[in-house]
Amino acid sequence: MSVLPLDVADEVATEPAQPSRRRRPPGFLQRPGGLLGAVWLVLVVIASFTAPLWRPYGVATQDLAHRLALPSAAHLLGTDPLGRDLLSRLATAGAEPLLASAVTVLVAFGIGLPLALIAAERGPRVERVLSRTTEVFLALPLIIILLAVIGVIGSRTYVVMAVLGVLISAAVYRIMLGVAQSVRQRLYVDAARVNGLGSLRVNLVHVLPSMATVAAVQAAQLFGIGLLINAGLSFLGFGPAEPQPSWGLMIQDASAHVYDDPWLMVPSGLVLSLTVVAANELVDAIAGRTTKGRVRTRTRPVARVAAVDRGGRASAALEVRGLTVAVDGGPTLVSGVSFRVQPGRVLGLVGESGCGKTMTARSLLGLLPEGVSVAGGAILWQGRDLAGLSERELNAVRGREIAMISQEPMVALDPMFSIAYQLVRPLRRFRSIGRGEARRVAAELLSQVGIVDPERVLRSYPHQLSGGMAQRVAIALALTGRPKLLVADEPTTALDVTVQAEILSLLRGLVQEIDLAVVIVSHDLGVVADICDDVAVMYAGEVVESGTAAAVLDDAAHPYTMALLRANPHVAEGHAVPVRLASIAGTVPAPGSWPAGCRFAGRCRFASDACRVPFVPLPAHGGGSVLCIRAEDLARENATWERERAGAEVGAEVRA
Amino acid sequence: MSALAASPAPPALEIRDLVVRYGASRAAKRNPPAVDGVSFDIRPGETVGLVGESGSGKSTIGKAVLGLQPPSAGTVRLNGQDITQSSLKQRRRLAVDLRVVFQDPYSSLNPTRTIGQTLVEPLRVLGVPSREGERRARETLESVGLPADTVERYPSQFSGGQRQRIAIARALVCDPKVVVLDEPVSALDLSTQATVLNLLADLRDQRDLGFLFIAHDLGVVRFLAQRVVVLYRGQVMESGSVEPVTQAPRHPYTVALTSAAPVPRPAEQTARRQAREALGFRTAGAAAGSSTGCPFAPRCPLATEECRTERPLLRRVEQSLTACHHAEQVAALTGAAGVRP
Amino acid sequence: MLSYVGRRLALAVGTVLAAVVISFLLVHATPGSPGAVVLGPSGTAAQIAAKNHELGWDRPLVVQFADYLGHLIRGDLGTSLIDGRSIAGDLGARLPVTASIAVLATLLSGVLGVVLGVTAAVRGGVLARVIGTGSGIALSLPAFWVGILFVYVLALQLGLLPATGYVPFTENPVGWLGSLLLPVLALTVGGAAIIARTAAAGMRDALAQEHIRTLRALGTPTWRIRYIHALRFASVPVVSVLGIQFIGLFGGSVIIENLFALPGLGQASQAAVSAHDFPALIGVVVVATVVVVVTNLLLDLVVAALDPKVRTA
Repeated sequence: MSVLPLDVADEVATEPAQPSRRRRPPGFLQRPGGLLGAVWLVLVVIASFTAPLWRPYGVATQDLAHRLALPSAAHLLGTDPLGRDLLSRLATAGAEPLLASAVTVLVAFGIGLPLALIAAERGPRVERVLSRTTEVFLALPLIIILLAVIGVIGSRTYVVMAVLGVLISAAVYRIMLGVAQSVRQRLYVDAARVNGLGSLRVNLVHVLPSMATVAAVQAAQLFGIGLLINAGLSFLGFGPAEPQPSWGLMIQDASAHVYDDPWLMVPSGLVLSLTVVAANELVDAIAGRTTKGRVRTRTRPVARVAAVDRGGRASAALEVRGLTVAVDGGPTLVSGVSFRVQPGRVLGLVGESGCGKTMTARSLLGLLPEGVSVAGGAILWQGRDLAGLSERELNAVRGREIAMISQEPMVALDPMFSIAYQLVRPLRRFRSIGRGEARRVAAELLSQVGIVDPERVLRSYPHQLSGGMAQRVAIALALTGRPKLLVADEPTTALDVTVQAEILSLLRGLVQEIDLAVVIVSHDLGVVADICDDVAVMYAGEVVESGTAAAVLDDAAHPYTMALLRANPHVAEGHAVPVRLASIAGTVPAPGSWPAGCRFAGRCRFASDACRVPFVPLPAHGGGSVLCIRAEDLARENATWERERAGAEVGAEVRA
Repeated sequence: MSALAASPAPPALEIRDLVVRYGASRAAKRNPPAVDGVSFDIRPGETVGLVGESGSGKSTIGKAVLGLQPPSAGTVRLNGQDITQSSLKQRRRLAVDLRVVFQDPYSSLNPTRTIGQTLVEPLRVLGVPSREGERRARETLESVGLPADTVERYPSQFSGGQRQRIAIARALVCDPKVVVLDEPVSALDLSTQATVLNLLADLRDQRDLGFLFIAHDLGVVRFLAQRVVVLYRGQVMESGSVEPVTQAPRHPYTVALTSAAPVPRPAEQTARRQAREALGFRTAGAAAGSSTGCPFAPRCPLATEECRTERPLLRRVEQSLTACHHAEQVAALTGAAGVRP
Repeated sequence: MLSYVGRRLALAVGTVLAAVVISFLLVHATPGSPGAVVLGPSGTAAQIAAKNHELGWDRPLVVQFADYLGHLIRGDLGTSLIDGRSIAGDLGARLPVTASIAVLATLLSGVLGVVLGVTAAVRGGVLARVIGTGSGIALSLPAFWVGILFVYVLALQLGLLPATGYVPFTENPVGWLGSLLLPVLALTVGGAAIIARTAAAGMRDALAQEHIRTLRALGTPTWRIRYIHALRFASVPVVSVLGIQFIGLFGGSVIIENLFALPGLGQASQAAVSAHDFPALIGVVVVATVVVVVTNLLLDLVVAALDPKVRTA
């Protein structure tokens, strides 16, 4: 029999369930596996503990005339080698393993859980001592030790199962420690400690509730393990003595009669197996784990916007027209986005979170998340429409023509491979060169992105690099295929401000050196001002204003852009800081609940009735546009989005 | 502001020669401490900005002040009383006047507790009766711009900005004198950040609160703080009133920080970027400085042999305190490069 | 790395010591004595005391323990109370049987589990559902019951394999494999299910990593993303669980050996328990612990080889 590892902790969300819906049954009962498991367990428990009240025969009542009988009206499940009724024996046998496994669970948690809480609270020194001790326990061969215990004290089931609980508490400690440590890192625990809550209350109120899901999962899993081990021991003859029935011994009987009565193995084996299956189904249901696999993506036909005119303003390397991105069968995330990028120029997609800028950027390489796809419009890349390409055709474009760098440089590199490997592989593929040559080019690329000791970095693994260094490597990686367009999704957001400045300078240098076109996603207007030639301001899935960076930032025409600029506390040296910043009431409307007409109207200080009906973008800033029906009025009135007055936030005038 | 600076009011929070080391093993002792001899005061009603990049030790100082990370040396005084080594339990009485707002509004509220329960919790510890506690919770929520019936709801029903208001209410509910603000707006979107900053500024002006404002963004610090302490690798590089420090830095690291923060004005930003590139700061990935010298020396364009061997002490240069051997040349550096208009 | 290995070795020695101490204390904390076991119910109190003295049982516990350790280091586990045979010799003859079952079952579980798990994660859809549900049930089945089923179907109904008995490798390698196949298959059902789950979860996790998107953005061929990068990422948890599996299978083989009448460690321990053969009992615990500890050490080395974060720490 194999002992299951307690393996699920890391997959289980430790976030406690939303407590506001108390009336409904808990979530795990709403899954079929969980419901069936729970029903079966309840049935088995009730049947086992009430067996003496209803069983048709005594457990020792022999009917030697009907030995090894098949199921019949008299014996619903048949009889055993001594002619005893299987149903009566099976039901009666259940009480002990169920109770004994519960003892194992209680003992294991009684020891493991408090130790885990203590170790998580007291810090590394206590934790080290406890963890080393439990490691010793974990390395003991469970069943052999249990047999040794039985050899010494005899087959006292509950004591033996309690000892199993002690041994297995090490595993419970291990898992609960991990959970407790992660819960303790949540800031509300620190906040409670600052509030002066005692250690016991902190644990009871703030730590334990968040561990409940994992604890329930572990308990159910451990219960199943307990049942299997208990049955295994009685199978070996170390359980209740004859004529007392036990599941293990009944299976042992079956093994002896596999030649003359194979039916015998069915009832006992099935009840034991189903009970363990039920416990494990409960585990999966509580853990919220479904057996559902990956959704397979289907490329769906893209509705084209007008015919592609190959003439005209053909200088754009990339032209996006009316791009719409939507969740398959769900809300639209990006709608009608159009912009152009020329070689040697940088376009900024700017806006707050949830405005669709990352989705727009990712659709350029066909790297939308699963279940999200391009639903309309065209992505014209050197005359070709990328929106309709198959995965295979896109793969030929990715890296070679369009490359990408992402927000978190530390996780963008594969932690399992050296930097050299990660650079050499694509270099060999893209440039058809040998290993040695590729390594030389890799070192050159690293020098090109400003790394002073490329040989050392080549030998390193990602976790050995700083954030800035990792982003330089990621840029080098993006350059391996000599792309003409680089898509950079918040490339400096995770970096320190001095490192950000270095990375922006590096990118600007590359744009000039190799005539790269860049689409950069950022929420930071300062970054846009620093590196972008053109900018498209996004709000609620559409471009609300576009034009050259100088025109848009210095002379914003859309109220949203005006508000963003006035909400920014950064001013250049020599300018006074504002007393208060501009604010925008409310929040960005979620995809699926966008209003007709201007999506910003609900939050706009200048909104009028005209804003509530759909309208088209107006030309602005030379080659750009503005999506505001009142833009001309506002420009004429010289309207500005005023900053708050002091005290507005606390509802009182305050001494300024 | 200047009136406050001149007033002899005793500091609400006084930090002297604070040293914090992580880990107790011998290996840990060989590493430089996370916080290395930091001193500053916060007077009542004053906001002090603690600014620096990752690894500067700014959050560690916040934790040490709050008692979440025991200091290895130095003292922390609250209203003149030494609370450096007080356990969190002793702080229940001693540190009533000291509260905190954390960075992440999502993990700083317990999702299983109503806002009311969260707000009443510190009052219960102080022995405030529950009805009185409830009343104060409602009042405080209204004072941070949230409806009083917020108490009945759960954190998941609020946006990031609203959650941060709730966290601020939790800090204010027992009427503290000093609040540690650990990056309170850096997880928020720009427009939300603006409203929370406005709220903090209003509360600062209205309530005579002392703020220890921990941030990586000097622009945000300049908006909210009166004084600023600039940290690099656990040491104070420069401190003083916010305008002189940010407008006329006397430490090269402060210059590096101010010049690197971009402003949303393309023309000005282009000039500033060119000026910064001309300054010749070396990359942040450069090797750590020697333990005896200035920690910034490996990146500093002004560094000399002296900087690499002798740790500069904080000294007064004009209005600021700076830890630079060449503080007098810093003005020329920025002037020559045209960073200052 | 060196200090890492040193720490692991120290832990290994500590574990073996702990096992010896625990079993020693267990044996000595109970009313029974070896004298009583040897002489059986007919022995008088005086005879038992004399026998105990002869066996050194009446010496102080510390002395006995030191004595035992001294012998243990030389590979001597004492002699059986029942038949006076060398325990080390007896267990040495049995170890290959148990080890073969455990190693074969682990290997088979590993191969089968990884194939199923990776398929489920990569293919998705109905196949993933079937594998997920199937493995959920399979890992809950008691191996000794699965064993009976296999005997009935494979041995009795189809006559493919011998039902019970053991053929030593040296006698007949094919017969050896045949005699082990049923017990190995019985253990593999649950083992492969657990590995399949771990591999599927690990693969899904790996494919959701940010660095996979970097690779996709570079146009890396899909097979390379899946079977070089994602699989390598998922290999660490899979290998860890395989190690735990081996340990579980090694201990759990006690029961399966009983079912298939195999002369392994399990049979020895069951006999020792039934006969209260204390020295044999401690011997089994020590041997099993040593095997577990060595497995753990190997496991650590494999994980270190796979995961650069561990290797370079």
